[in-house]
Amino acid sequence: MATSPALDVPAEPPLKRRKVSPEPPDITTQVADLAEQLDAQERKKYVKGAKLGSGQYADVFSAHLVSDPTKLVAIKKIKVGPEVKEFGISYDSLREIKFLQELDHPNIIKLHAVFSTKNQNLNLVLEHLPQGDLLKLIQDVGGVQYTSADIKSWMLMLLRATHFCHKNNILHRDIKPNNLLIAADGSIKLADFGLARSMADPFQPMTYNTITIWYRPPELFFQAQHYGGQVDVWSCGCVFAELVAREVMFRAWPETEINMVKMICEKVGTPTEENWPGVSKLRGYVTPTEFVPLRPRDQWLASFRTIGEQGVDLLVKMLTLDPRQRLSAEGVLRHEFWTSEPRPSRLKDLPRRGGGVETMGEDLTQRGAELPRQNGRADKVARKIDFGAMK
Amino acid sequence: MSRLAQPKTSPVIKRDGRMGGGAGGPDGELHNDIRRMNLDQTQSTNADLVATEICPVCKSSRYLNASLRFLVNPECYHKMCESCVDRIFSHGPAPCPIPKCGRTLRKHRFREQTFEDLRVEREVDIRKRVAAVFNKREEDFENLRDYNDHLNDVEDITFNLIEGIDVEETEKRFEAYKQANSREIEENAQMAAHEKQSFTQQQKVERHQAKQRREAARREEEEERREAEENRKDVLKRLASGADADTVAKEGQRVQLRKRMDRQAAAERQRQLQAAEDARNNGSSNFVIKGLKAKTKAEPEEPIDPFGGLRFVDSYYSLQDDYVWEGIQEAKKDVRQTAGGYDVMDYARRSLVAAFSGLGVFVADEVTQRDQVGQDAEAVGTARADIGVKDIGMVDAA
Repeated sequence: MATSPALDVPAEPPLKRRKVSPEPPDITTQVADLAEQLDAQERKKYVKGAKLGSGQYADVFSAHLVSDPTKLVAIKKIKVGPEVKEFGISYDSLREIKFLQELDHPNIIKLHAVFSTKNQNLNLVLEHLPQGDLLKLIQDVGGVQYTSADIKSWMLMLLRATHFCHKNNILHRDIKPNNLLIAADGSIKLADFGLARSMADPFQPMTYNTITIWYRPPELFFQAQHYGGQVDVWSCGCVFAELVAREVMFRAWPETEINMVKMICEKVGTPTEENWPGVSKLRGYVTPTEFVPLRPRDQWLASFRTIGEQGVDLLVKMLTLDPRQRLSAEGVLRHEFWTSEPRPSRLKDLPRRGGGVETMGEDLTQRGAELPRQNGRADKVARKIDFGAMK
Repeated sequence: MSRLAQPKTSPVIKRDGRMGGGAGGPDGELHNDIRRMNLDQTQSTNADLVATEICPVCKSSRYLNASLRFLVNPECYHKMCESCVDRIFSHGPAPCPIPKCGRTLRKHRFREQTFEDLRVEREVDIRKRVAAVFNKREEDFENLRDYNDHLNDVEDITFNLIEGIDVEETEKRFEAYKQANSREIEENAQMAAHEKQSFTQQQKVERHQAKQRREAARREEEEERREAEENRKDVLKRLASGADADTVAKEGQRVQLRKRMDRQAAAERQRQLQAAEDARNNGSSNFVIKGLKAKTKAEPEEPIDPFGGLRFVDSYYSLQDDYVWEGIQEAKKDVRQTAGGYDVMDYARRSLVAAFSGLGVFVADEVTQRDQVGQDAEAVGTARADIGVKDIGMVDAA
């Protein structure tokens, strides 16, 4: 079609319109190598649907199986592009794939498959968890009521998942309510293994800068580089307390490590050589200026009365300063709290309005150790002002 | 429709026609036969109308015999008049007299058709039969989606039976389900019957009460009228006997008022009695509450297992309390290692697992096991998790 000479507009150079990345070769027609064939085979099993959430780091789509449209999955597409500075696949997604494909437990999110699409994008096919997360349940104070039996049921599922990880020599290192997604049947699934790692050999240092700051145990604030499963147990204890009180147990403002240590000292007690032998040898240990004695049992009982004496006993043992005196995940499961009254709620009786699929999308796009986005508790976090939007 | 056109159209009618092909084939031919026959007989263009008026067997018509009744047999849905049924099937089962049908019919199965359209009649019969077997309720399902899926399956079966698609296979499935779930079906049917019974009983009770209330109201009204009449008569009599008109009128009014008060008190007493009676009945068995959910017997709950059935058994080694290797001993002595909660025994356990990992895995066994479980690879994987902790050499990047 010839353009009219009256329209004196030069045609745009075709180069600009063309996609920068070359189209992927059609694998079906060419002879592709085996890995590509397998990848294409895996990719063709799923039909991608609506976008559930989008983050800086990943997008989450709803999807279903080609063979059975009733089987829903969530596809987490990890963004790879010029905005990602590091080359290759990010550590977070590598860790997530590495651990999730090994773990198979009813309370851990299931990784069904991994495939790549054009531009070497990584796609993780994850379990579809349509009922949102525990954080939304905790925050919805007006809308959702739950009982101590519900808390017990949730905590039991969380501890089972944690115990399973530890038994498989994996530290999760980012347990928090918005990483606890709620499945359609009401059960809790531990997600986001982006910060997980396997347990270290002796003398092999691990990073202390891990776990979302509100849920981080004191030994990590003291920069311990050798730690064990007890770091996850502390996080579980924080979740436990948060479920009961419906507010974050250790929420320092501003969220600096110094303030967090201060907060833990206030609420649990100051770590000293008496209650934590060897603590002063840790690199980041600061000699306390003021000394707070360990919080007595009756004060714990006063603030967490709803879970009963045994529940408080367990909570205290999970939030013990010295990680060696803190219970292990197995020790927690052996506690008599679980077998005492009330019986944990059955799955079908659990509240499950944790925000729906959008919440799942939001959670799965988050990077590890990030504080929750948007409104809610993060409202006091300084926000970057978007000048572009102001006109 | 001309006679010439008939042969051309007939195959079409046979296949998709008015009976939708029919379960056994002959159904589809039924109307065809009727049609052709009518054409032969009357040359009428309004074949359908006439078809309903003439017995295809004896050709007697309602025009001549107003009391003619047509019956059908759900075996083949061929229509014939009552006298033909009596004549042919009185002495036991006999083949259907309609040409090309020949199915063996029994007299007791003949009945009057409910719907004018025999297609509808047949569909309703099939639906009844399927619904009697697939009588699961919504409460039986975990969620609405499962229930809807079930309903969809049932509808598939029904549709196949009605439209005659894969009849044999569908019937087989249907019978298999019936066999497998006979007890459940029976229970559900009983529950439905019970509910229906209690509902009708309730309705009966309500009707009875309404009737009683109406009668009581009528009696009361009559009583009142009679008393007013009597009162008037009384007043007249007294006036006639020469009493003072004003006082007599007042007296009469007072009497009437008192009587009315008495009646109201009596009615109140009656009501109280009735309420007491109701309350008594409430506790006893002859009071029916409608809309109660059928209770399922609660199973005794098992004690809580905090580990959720998962057991980690070290089948190839037993972990010692201590190891003399200097790497472990030194780590134990180093406060910087232990103060952070690092447990060197975790390392010892992991090393042992690594040393033996893969020894307990027999791929061939797992494959057969998985096939037995029914492709549930996850179950096998979890069961095996105790034997080999799979991930060993994972080095953290951070």
